[in-house]
Amino acid sequence: MKPDRSPIRLTRRGFLRTSARQAAVLGLAGSAAMSAARPACAGSDTTPNPFAYDVSRLEKFDPKLARYTEARQFRCPRPDARRMALGPGGNLYVAAGNYVVILDANGTPVNELALTAAARCVAAAPDGTVFAGLRDHIELFDAKGERKAAWASPGKKTWFTGLALGNQGDVFAADSGNRVVLRCDRAGKVLARIGEKNPQRDIAGFILPSPYLDVVWHTDGLLRVNNPGRHRVEVYTLDGDLELTWGRPSMAIDGFCGCCNPIALALTKDGRYVTCEKGLPRVKIYQEHGALDCVVAGPEMFPDNARVGAGETAADGVRAALDAAVDGQGRVFVLDTVTSRIHVMEPRT
Amino acid sequence: MAAGLSQEEPVNRRQFLRGGLRVAAMTGVGALVGALAGRSATDGTVWQIDPARCLRCGQCATECVLEQSAVKCVHTHAICGYCELCTGYFVPDPNALNTGAENQLCPTAAIRRKYVEDPYYEYTIDENLCIGCGKCVEGCNRFGNGSLYLQIRHDRCLNCNECSIARVCPGDAIHRVPARHPYLLKTTVSH
Repeated sequence: MKPDRSPIRLTRRGFLRTSARQAAVLGLAGSAAMSAARPACAGSDTTPNPFAYDVSRLEKFDPKLARYTEARQFRCPRPDARRMALGPGGNLYVAAGNYVVILDANGTPVNELALTAAARCVAAAPDGTVFAGLRDHIELFDAKGERKAAWASPGKKTWFTGLALGNQGDVFAADSGNRVVLRCDRAGKVLARIGEKNPQRDIAGFILPSPYLDVVWHTDGLLRVNNPGRHRVEVYTLDGDLELTWGRPSMAIDGFCGCCNPIALALTKDGRYVTCEKGLPRVKIYQEHGALDCVVAGPEMFPDNARVGAGETAADGVRAALDAAVDGQGRVFVLDTVTSRIHVMEPRT
Repeated sequence: MAAGLSQEEPVNRRQFLRGGLRVAAMTGVGALVGALAGRSATDGTVWQIDPARCLRCGQCATECVLEQSAVKCVHTHAICGYCELCTGYFVPDPNALNTGAENQLCPTAAIRRKYVEDPYYEYTIDENLCIGCGKCVEGCNRFGNGSLYLQIRHDRCLNCNECSIARVCPGDAIHRVPARHPYLLKTTVSH
């Protein structure tokens, strides 16, 4: 029996319509199948990490130790703020980007000094002279903001990260690159090299896994210098004799956390130490011989800083730091280098 | 319009089949050309982790098709601080700074600690033990210079068409890179 050879009446439009319908059905089915086969990518954010590095318990501390409260905070008008110092009139001098920004205690801009390169540290004399530490040299500005001098770089590897001023015209410059504190006169002449490794003087030398050497001068005539790799603070005479060290490595609140802390120092009027740490961003006060006195600010105050420091963002975690300065009223100004915000911390009454 | 349609030449089964075969043949040739082009594009590439995007989620250790992951911790010594208290080596609050198992962060003890001189220690990775979990990387990044980080080792990686780790990577850190530059190594530390 012959099959019926009569032509099927299929128009072009009908053929296209049918094909499109079938393609749509197949596409939907394929998409559904692929979705079913794909692992739960989005769920990976919520999947607990069996290899988690958990320091959350170390971020907590005894609330009785928190004896400061935040009065206010304000943002430095220039980005990339790194270091900060108090100057005449209670003004804040902030090294931020290629500028030294001068703010009053409420954060109102007073002036700013333009530099030729990034400012990495700053100090201000009572007469208004500003010392700006660039990577390899120091520049001086008068109270009006005019550039008066640029000192020659003291060495090939120089990397200034801290500046302090004495009462006899001394300028102390912390050089992370050469692991030394330079004592200079106001003309930039190096008078002494302090803290270099010297077994004869029983000086072990600064250990700086990252460039965070700082120096502070106190009215008792002694210098305080941090030694982050040894997790301690060292006290030197102006001639470079090591008088005292204190500090211990520990994630606990009374120690210095991580591989290298403290990263910055300040002193209260009565000689207590304000220390800043990275990793677990926290600011604490220690008594004269190194016993923990209180906590100024814990990690909860610097969530962005902690996130950047932990490498949870694309920003450079090594730059996540804090700096502190103390005014005559005992207020602690804390600079968060990630947010460029300055937190004004007042003692609780 | 309807009148126009009715005037179209009807398609018989033979014509329909002939046309269908022609379309299928052309589709096949197109697919073949596409596949060949795609293969030639991936022939010169390998999978690699961008350290800047890695979130140390731990899935490199668990998602690789190999029994032991092709992802390993690598160490750029030029960035390392040779710290006595290495936060990539020690648990967050160690009892003591020694090689005691209870003090080590690595779940497989894949990091070797060697005294250099006071107070410096050198840290090296035993790749036969490393499972690529990234725990040390997290410790090093959080507190240190970030000299420890994860890379896909190409002496082990099978270079799968679709990397099973890349499919689940929450940081979207795994991409194909040119095979002539198969590693994304850290070189400097900024400040």
